[in-house]
Amino acid sequence: MLKIKNLHAKVDGREILNGLDLTIPAGEVHAIMGPNGSGKSTLSYVLAGKEDYEVTDGSVTWKGEDLLDMQPDERAAAGVFLAFQYPMEIPGVATMTFLRSAVNAVRKARGEEELSTPDFLRTVKEKAKHLNIDIEMLRRPLNVGFSGGEKKRNEILQMSLLEPGLCVLDETDSGLDIDALRVVSAGVNALRSPERSMLVITHYQRLLNYIVPDRVHVLSNGRVARSGGPELALELEESGYAEYGEEASAA
Amino acid sequence: MNAPVQQFRTEVEQDLLDLFELSADALPGDAAVTALRQKAIRTYAAAGLPHRRVEAWKYTDLRVALKNVPPLLAEVDVQVGESEIGAALGQAFLALPAYRVVIAAGEFRGDLSDIGALRDAGVEVGSLGQMLESPPAWLTASFDEAGRRDDDVIIALNTALMTAGVALRLPEELTLQKPIHLIHLDMPGASGSIFTRNAVVAEPGASATLIESFGTLGATDLQRNSVTTVSAAERSAIHHIKLQREALEATHLTVWAANVGAEARYNAFQVNTGAALARNQIYVRFDGEGAATDISGATLAQGSQHCDTTLVVEHNVPACESRELFKLVLNDEARGVFQGKIIVTPDAQKTDGKQMSQALLLSETAEFDSKPELEIYADDVVCGHGATSGQIDEDLLFYLRARGLPEAQARALLIQAFVGETFEALDDEVIGDAFAEVAADWLGVKLD
Ligand SMILES: Nc1ncnc2c1ncn2[C@@H]1O[C@H](COP(=O)(O)OP(=O)(O)OP(=O)(O)O)[C@@H](O)[C@H]1O
Ligand SMILES: [Mg+2]
Repeated sequence: MLKIKNLHAKVDGREILNGLDLTIPAGEVHAIMGPNGSGKSTLSYVLAGKEDYEVTDGSVTWKGEDLLDMQPDERAAAGVFLAFQYPMEIPGVATMTFLRSAVNAVRKARGEEELSTPDFLRTVKEKAKHLNIDIEMLRRPLNVGFSGGEKKRNEILQMSLLEPGLCVLDETDSGLDIDALRVVSAGVNALRSPERSMLVITHYQRLLNYIVPDRVHVLSNGRVARSGGPELALELEESGYAEYGEEASAA
Repeated sequence: MNAPVQQFRTEVEQDLLDLFELSADALPGDAAVTALRQKAIRTYAAAGLPHRRVEAWKYTDLRVALKNVPPLLAEVDVQVGESEIGAALGQAFLALPAYRVVIAAGEFRGDLSDIGALRDAGVEVGSLGQMLESPPAWLTASFDEAGRRDDDVIIALNTALMTAGVALRLPEELTLQKPIHLIHLDMPGASGSIFTRNAVVAEPGASATLIESFGTLGATDLQRNSVTTVSAAERSAIHHIKLQREALEATHLTVWAANVGAEARYNAFQVNTGAALARNQIYVRFDGEGAATDISGATLAQGSQHCDTTLVVEHNVPACESRELFKLVLNDEARGVFQGKIIVTPDAQKTDGKQMSQALLLSETAEFDSKPELEIYADDVVCGHGATSGQIDEDLLFYLRARGLPEAQARALLIQAFVGETFEALDDEVIGDAFAEVAADWLGVKLD
């Protein structure tokens, strides 16, 4: 279970998160929607532990542990995974080498045996196939020259390899064509389990037809302005964020 | 040419002259070689050691840096086996499949060198010390060529004091299947100066790879001066590769000077991790149209190491291509220098020259000095250069850490990636992997 209480966070001296409360019980999928600049990616970075995001108040616990006290790699080992809105390109690091280093680093930190080369390759091949990822692509430098959709699929591949307990997906649907959206959603749904919590950030209700959430939250001005069931997403699709925008400018 | 006559000599400058006077009688060579030595020492005496007011030595003041002149090393029975070579160069270079030639403590080691196998493969090859007693015409021609560059003090001193080395000639159209690995070692527990000279002559259409590696057996105070001349005739191809892992207290002064004929290729690649002071000079001169060179490499320096790479490429004829890519990783108070001069004479139309140097600074006290010099006297040319200097990208670091890599491992991976780009210039997976291991070794990580 993820518990966020009264979270305040600053970037560059500017307060972006502003008393955010959110609880995601084990096994549930929650969606976060909200206007551009409302703080969705900021929340995801704060959860993953990005340095320049300074938490000024509030708490985040994951499975009862203080998440904010951990280094980014410790969070990964504890099961936190962020699928980036904009995955990084790293020239000179072969994707396969990176995947293997990540898997083994996390396994090591969790006190598990490192995977042997053949075991690792078998696992990657199988998971890549489900995501329609050409294995040749994984021999190229990490994300370098990957199309937008390929990068997003690569994120989901990493997620399925690292077997996290908390999956945070930041606009994983943006840049995906309709077929890729289906494939990626199937990949995400395959990871749904009673132990796993998910936080799906999106602008489009369409994704939520594939990954049906338990709860939908609207983020505005750095806090949760409204929460509801999956029908809330449909409603937002109709009405837009006008009312939250007004509230924003009034505040 | 009238060299400016030096009015005043420092103690070390005088010591170098004394070293020559003391050793002159014992230095190998016939009368012609002796004359060559005399001429070279006069050149040195006139110029003295280069200092910071000499433009090419702006960032590396040799007159200040050299504190003493240890005696000439000449020691025949230094114990050298596989374990010594492995310790000096690392396992990856020990394991490289190659014809080996070993020079230890300033002595050519026939007992450790695959001279017979090289001759069987068709190469004319011998110990420089022996060949100086009656040099073949091709070797004399190499000396004459080097003599034209002896306004370079490193070359002048080398010509005056050269004792050991290897000279080899690749006959027409010979393609050597395995690289030649020239291993330069010092001597355990000793202080000394070593002057080695190597000469490579590739006849038309010949091709070979020459790896020169420099490692330590534990010298306390080593001053190394090593010059290799390469004459690459038309259509030949020489790949010249260096690993510099000298003792951390050592001084390493080297020159590679290559003349490249029509449609020939000369590639130079150097990785430096050792020595307190290293100055690597590479001179390439195009003598025939349609020739090409790629000069690349990486420097990994820490502590108070100072590593200078100085390149001069002369485009004297039309339609030649030069590529330069150097990367430096500098930690602590280390200082990296990259100077790249590209000269394009009025006749050298259709010249294509590119140069890039990039430094990754791991500390705030590390320093990178870069000096590109493009002297272009032809109008129809494409020449470009760039130099960058920066820190590790925090966003990339975060991405890797978010995937579970501990900070140190994530940093090491990014540094390896930075340096690794230069290894692509080798276009040889085995040697590239060996250098990747050198980099990993330096970073203190294990590769799988
Ligand atoms: N490093 C930064 N420096 C300054 N401002 C920042 C920084 N990162 C984010 N912000 C600001 O914080 C606010 C929230 O940004 P965030 O990326 O969290 O929004 P978002 O809800 O994810 O928007 P989108 O829907 O466009 O992805 C924006 O106004 C943004 O400009
Ligand atoms: Mg965002």
